[in-house]
Amino acid sequence: MASVRLERIAKRFDAGGTPAVDGVSLEIADGEFTVIVGPSGCGKTTVLRMIAGLEGPTAGRIFIDGTDVTDLPPRERDIAMVFQNYALYPHLSVRENIGFGLRMRRVDPVDIARRVDRIAESLEIGVLLDRRPAQLSGGQRQRVALARAIVREPAVFLFDEPLSNLDAQVRAQTRGELVRLHRRLGTTMIYVTHDQVEAMTMAQRVAVMHKGRVEQFAPPLDVYRAPSTLFVASFLGSPTINRFAGRVLPDGTSQRFDGGVRLRVEAPLAEVATLAVRPEHLNLVAPTEGSAGEVTLVEPLGPETILHVRLTGGEQATLRLGAGTTPAVGDTVGVSVRATEALVYDARGRLMGRGVA
Amino acid sequence: MTHAQSLARRWAIAACMVWGVATAVAVNRPLERVEYALAAHEARAVARAMVDSSGRRPSPIRRLVAEGSLTRAGVELSRYLGRAVRGLEESDRVVVHRSWLKRAVSVPLKDRDEWEIVGVVALQAEPWRDLPVTLLAIAFAVLVAATLASRGVDRLAEDPAIALYSVLVGPVATLAVVMAALTALVRQRVEAAAASLPPPSALSRFDGLTLPLPSATLSALTLALIFAATAAALVVAGWAASARRHAAERRETLTAWAFLAPSALHLLVFTAGPLAFTLFISFHDWDLLRLDRPFVGFGNYAELVADPLFWRAVGNTAVYALYVPVSMGLALGAALILNQPLRGMHALRAIVFLPTVVSYVAIAIVWQWMFNADFGLLNVLLRAVHLPGVDWLGNPKTALVALMIVSAWVQLGYQMVIYLAGLQGIPAHLIEAATLDGASPWARLRHITLPLLRPVTTYLFVTGIIWSFQVFTLVYVMTEGGPVHATDVLVYRIYQNAWEFRRMGYASAMSWILFAILLALTLLQWRALNRTVDDAA
Ligand SMILES: Nc1ncnc2c1ncn2[C@@H]1O[C@H](COP(=O)(O)OP(=O)(O)OP(=O)(O)O)[C@@H](O)[C@H]1O
Ligand SMILES: [Mg+2]
Repeated sequence: MASVRLERIAKRFDAGGTPAVDGVSLEIADGEFTVIVGPSGCGKTTVLRMIAGLEGPTAGRIFIDGTDVTDLPPRERDIAMVFQNYALYPHLSVRENIGFGLRMRRVDPVDIARRVDRIAESLEIGVLLDRRPAQLSGGQRQRVALARAIVREPAVFLFDEPLSNLDAQVRAQTRGELVRLHRRLGTTMIYVTHDQVEAMTMAQRVAVMHKGRVEQFAPPLDVYRAPSTLFVASFLGSPTINRFAGRVLPDGTSQRFDGGVRLRVEAPLAEVATLAVRPEHLNLVAPTEGSAGEVTLVEPLGPETILHVRLTGGEQATLRLGAGTTPAVGDTVGVSVRATEALVYDARGRLMGRGVA
Repeated sequence: MTHAQSLARRWAIAACMVWGVATAVAVNRPLERVEYALAAHEARAVARAMVDSSGRRPSPIRRLVAEGSLTRAGVELSRYLGRAVRGLEESDRVVVHRSWLKRAVSVPLKDRDEWEIVGVVALQAEPWRDLPVTLLAIAFAVLVAATLASRGVDRLAEDPAIALYSVLVGPVATLAVVMAALTALVRQRVEAAAASLPPPSALSRFDGLTLPLPSATLSALTLALIFAATAAALVVAGWAASARRHAAERRETLTAWAFLAPSALHLLVFTAGPLAFTLFISFHDWDLLRLDRPFVGFGNYAELVADPLFWRAVGNTAVYALYVPVSMGLALGAALILNQPLRGMHALRAIVFLPTVVSYVAIAIVWQWMFNADFGLLNVLLRAVHLPGVDWLGNPKTALVALMIVSAWVQLGYQMVIYLAGLQGIPAHLIEAATLDGASPWARLRHITLPLLRPVTTYLFVTGIIWSFQVFTLVYVMTEGGPVHATDVLVYRIYQNAWEFRRMGYASAMSWILFAILLALTLLQWRALNRTVDDAA
């Protein structure tokens, strides 16, 4: 049971080079399930390794449960980590793998055996205890790695893309199990992934990282509905959010956005701005009613259909439509924006306003 | 394997065993008689030669016998006889004494005019001496033959008709041919060596000379050859039978052999050929400077067993090999230190590795100077701290240790480089996982690093031991086996016998013992490595 606080931690691997982590501050509450998500190379693993103590930060401090652990070695931080490739000891049996941490902490062998058996039982790997890691499937290895982390009852769990080596079905199943596990143990968990589905479904709060910085740290739905930067908006959601370049002009007493689409917004005036709209917030209307365009691709997915439209201005728009009749490729259609869901970003990609009805 | 197949296999093995024993019994009896005939022939040649060349004066052979080295006398006798002696004369009276485990042949020794009998030359076999060797050879041959044959039969088993043919008809036919040939040979020999008994009372007044008789080893060898040939025939027959049914498999096998042919040929000519030739030489008394190189059977091997110098060399070699674990420990330590990502480590690694690429002769000469009792660096250092100097290479107690020190110094670099490669092959995340699991640096070394290095350790240990059994250059340059055989190792012994004592046969026998030791070690390594590789997978 512990909170984790990162205070402007930074990591520079080679002096003078670009920092891998550039002033990350996070405050993770006791018992919270936090997901750090971001594109490849944005520094997620590095942050996790700094929390674990495998890497020392170049600047900043790390607190666990209020204590400054920045200079403590890993073994004194009471942290367990599940690695992306599981890092099971190949020469030890599953039983010895799970019990290794306890053995290193000089727990009584009888006690170790009891705890290992109990954990193995709860993760349904009891029958595998005498095998070697090489004799396990990917999913089984993943469970063993999990068991090895859990059995020590650490204050904080760290996961580095633990599901990325599993096939889609097992991944979906394990996702649910991890969430249940968190609910049962109530331990602080920090989970790194670049998979937005994992981020959305598992997290209590998501930290979206980009180029070594945290762009937004909020509950998943908030991040989805009100991404604080254009990067976050584009990174989460599939298909990707629609972006229209344009500017914010005065419109009587209020303002309007003028570009590939036009609508009334509430935002500071700007010569360069971007309007971002999720595909599900674009409506299909008669060509005369909204911005007209030509259908270039239709992707029926069953319950919904993704429609790609090239607007007359040349910009691309993607629409998510429910079941029902859909236009065919080459048809001319109209696209209208559900104004209250539209987001306006400034030239530097920061959220500065929204559309109004 | 199906039930029928395993049954067929069991039957085939049993048949092979029975057949082998039957052959052994059947062939050995006539062969025994051939031996007596041949021995009589030899004894007569001795008798004639003694009369011809030296009258009644004691011959060198006689002296040897008087000194008690019967084995040596046997070798000398066979060299002395060679193949120069041909045919038997009616007037030469040969006596064959035989009883269970005891055989002797005696021939009267006549004067220069072949008129009066002045003594007797007797050849006595000591079958118990090479009985174990003979039995072992036969047992081994039967075992190998049975294993090979059962392999062939395994494939044959799928085809009952062919199986029956090769299990029964094949060996029986082979046996028949062999027996026919042997019988012809035996009859010829026995007829040639017409034997008759002298009056027992007359024996007492003869000046007797007893020499050992080269015994049944030839027959054991022949048997082994027959077994091997039949087994090979069975394997080929098995392959042919299964190949007939699987055309694709046959094509693949033939193609594979086409690709393998160049290297197989090379191996055959330059490795297997010399190997077989040394085996052949080892059954002869082989002097490079003489034309007669008589067959002595297992004589060289029997002499080896009784040769204290050979055992001394084996012991020295074994002790010498102990440097391997020591230098491995040091190498592991060096590798752990030099694996740190610090500045200058690359240069240090290169320096430690340097001795490995230097010629052994150069190293030996430099160390000879280092070990010099008066001016050597080691003793200068010892005296500097007021310790008495040591005559490293001159003292039988320290000479071998000195050689071990040099070897460890040379091997250290190589072993360290292999260990470094092994260390770099250990995934970093395993060490990190152990760190998070709370393992101290020492515990990480003991529980993670060392177990994961086990394949490397096994490899280094076994190859190190194998190499140490082949040590020669250091000994040759630094000590020449001395002082007082303190550094006499196997290969040096082989070298001396072959080139200094001109006893190629004896040296070849020793080489084969060495080969057997190395082969066993290599097989051990194979098994150990396969096991560790399984673990790591
Ligand atoms: N040991 C290292 N030495 C030098 N640079 C490193 C090292 N480890 C990471 N980096 C760099 O730091 C940056 C962040 O790496 P990190 O592994 O944290 O990314 P990540 O977000 O985990 O990416 P991924 O999703 O691909 O795992 C990358 O540009 C990477 O090249
Ligand atoms: Mg990563």
